[in-house]
Amino acid sequence: MSQPAAYVITRSRLAEWVGQLLKQAQVIAPRTVHGGDTAYDVVEDPSQVAWDYSSSINPLKRFLFPQTEELLRWRRPGSNGLQLEPTYDETDRIFLAVRPCDVSGVLFLDRVFSREPEDIYYMTRRQHSALVSLTCGEPGEDCFCVCADAGPFLESGYDLQLTKLSDDYLVEVGTEKGRSLIAPAEHLFAGAPDELIRARRDIEKDVDDRFEEHKAYFAAALRKVTFDRVPDELWDGMADRCLECGGCSFVCPTCTCFLVADWPEGENGHRERLWDSCLYSCYTLEASGHNPRAQRRDRVKARFFHKLSYQFAKELEAHGCVGCGRCITACLGSNDMPTVTARIRRGAI
Amino acid sequence: MQNAYLPDLAEIASIRDETYDTRTFGLRFVDPARWEAFQYRPGQFVEVSVFGVGEAPFCLASPRDGTDTFEVTVRSAGSVTDALHGLKVGDQLGVRGPLGNGFPFDEVKGRDILFVGGGIGLPPLRPLIWDMLSNRGDFGKMTVLYGARTPGDLVYKDDLERWRGRDDVDFMVTVDVGDETWTGNVGVVGTLFPKAEISPETTAAFVCGPPIMIRFVVRDLLSMGFAEEDIYTTLERHMRCGVGKCNHCLIGDKYVCKDGPVFSYRQMKTMMDPG
Ligand SMILES: Cc1cc2nc3c(=O)[nH]c(=O)nc-3n(C[C@H](O)[C@H](O)[C@H](O)COP(=O)(O)OP(=O)(O)OC[C@H]3O[C@@H](n4cnc5c(N)ncnc54)[C@H](O)[C@@H]3O)c2cc1C
Ligand code: SF4
Ligand code: FES
Repeated sequence: MSQPAAYVITRSRLAEWVGQLLKQAQVIAPRTVHGGDTAYDVVEDPSQVAWDYSSSINPLKRFLFPQTEELLRWRRPGSNGLQLEPTYDETDRIFLAVRPCDVSGVLFLDRVFSREPEDIYYMTRRQHSALVSLTCGEPGEDCFCVCADAGPFLESGYDLQLTKLSDDYLVEVGTEKGRSLIAPAEHLFAGAPDELIRARRDIEKDVDDRFEEHKAYFAAALRKVTFDRVPDELWDGMADRCLECGGCSFVCPTCTCFLVADWPEGENGHRERLWDSCLYSCYTLEASGHNPRAQRRDRVKARFFHKLSYQFAKELEAHGCVGCGRCITACLGSNDMPTVTARIRRGAI
Repeated sequence: MQNAYLPDLAEIASIRDETYDTRTFGLRFVDPARWEAFQYRPGQFVEVSVFGVGEAPFCLASPRDGTDTFEVTVRSAGSVTDALHGLKVGDQLGVRGPLGNGFPFDEVKGRDILFVGGGIGLPPLRPLIWDMLSNRGDFGKMTVLYGARTPGDLVYKDDLERWRGRDDVDFMVTVDVGDETWTGNVGVVGTLFPKAEISPETTAAFVCGPPIMIRFVVRDLLSMGFAEEDIYTTLERHMRCGVGKCNHCLIGDKYVCKDGPVFSYRQMKTMMDPG
């Protein structure tokens, strides 16, 4: 008997399902945190999942590529001899009720870290994780996933994709891994009838119409950045507004710059990698004192070249923005993606 | 899946003082099997770890010869390099590599070869010079021009003597500022060009040194009539991972650690460098 491609689960049964998932793995889901914000975080109890949230203040990045991540430990058992031991995180994780833009962010990270040579630390975490997406019904204040081709519904890339209907959730199965999340609680799910799958298409169309606002002018920006047609004065203007706080890099689901540092503990110790930002002045500083990007303008330019140029889009199969809107909140100088692309298109601040 | 960040252990087999601030370390892998797999070409580099201090990139400075060791030449410049200078024979450190692309070799067979090295720019050229000398018949006229700030800044004094003694290479040295014992050329390395017999149409040039020296030498070579694709140089950038992940070494869309560090001047010109 062939297995259904989609299921339904009633809202009242979600908690029981999450209870099952909690037995299988660590569950990371939207959770109401300090001050009433919602953030993806570890949940210990099904009641903690904020099903009706709009968006999370942080992306999933830190669970797959942590802000500080141990790479290896060294020990000196004898006089001269050293022993090295890499540190891998093999915790099973289920990312639950994740917005499509953030799933797209993870898929972007997948492409970055699976390029040769594969990043074993990221890949190990990723192989031990499952992605349960929750489609969007209402655009959030700062959202522009539609412009970035990263939501509000996903075609693929998820293990399961949930869509809220009136009293039920439609559950589309993307992968066998997704199916395995349903299997232990199968009695909570019913096969989805065809009309429900059709209803889901109607919802998608309806939502798409509501997301239709044009928030980010990527086309013009992509072309101008690719061919280096953005006047220096424009980069200068944006550089003047940049405080070099690195906030935009840290909140961004697709930013992956890191540095590496050693932490000695007596004779032993460990090596970590830490998030870095290409906007910091010491990012390219060499020991000789030479700094190829000594001017902040060149750093702002490098950041947006990495995110917007066709060269990188071709390499990474997408440009480096999923339209989550977090840099709008993070940047005090309004060097956020929609504003920057608009400035580039207009040719003026 | 291999771990691209996990170094192999190596021990210091020899230490040689080059100048007041530069030393050459002979390194030997603790696991002899690792040496078998460690096939590299000149122009490639390694990331060397001093555990507890950090990691830094150094070019492979010796040809892969009959021994089981390889050399890196390190100028004391900051935390990792200073710590390296504090180590002694027998101490262990970490090595990742070989990394990067390396110089063309087969591609320039049959051509005349010009090497221009400035100061600490000689280490990447040294294994290439020796490899070409070992296959001397495959190349046309060979010229090595080397410049340093003062006589005290010249590295590889043994090699310099051996190259000077050979009649199948044209070898010249100059210093920016001489001292009381110096009787040789004085002036920047470019001042040697008129003294050397170079035919730009038949020659491939390999240029390594500080950024300012590269800029002037490339300008001179172009005005002598060198084609842009016949001038090769290595780029230096702040590096962290050495494998195209951390983004520190990016110039436009090129990773110096992965697509480089060797580039032809033709490539360099098209690389969009914001800085
Ligand atoms: C491909 C390549 C080959 C090199 N070959 C040699 C060589 O053969 N001999 C030699 O003496 N030097 C070489 N260098 C320069 C050498 O790597 C730096 O001097 C060294 O990284 C300084 O590290 P530090 O910890 O002592 O200095 P710090 O100023 O304490 O630097 C801290 C960290 O910043 C990074 N960093 C700083 N400056 C540089 C730099 N110039 N290049 C790359 N990373 C940097 C490194 O990750 C370093 O560990 C090379 C650099 C590159 C990129
Ligand atoms: S650039 Fe801004 S809007 Fe785009 S993905 Fe990054 S944080 Fe989100
Ligand atoms: S050094 Fe990390 S990307 Fe090149």
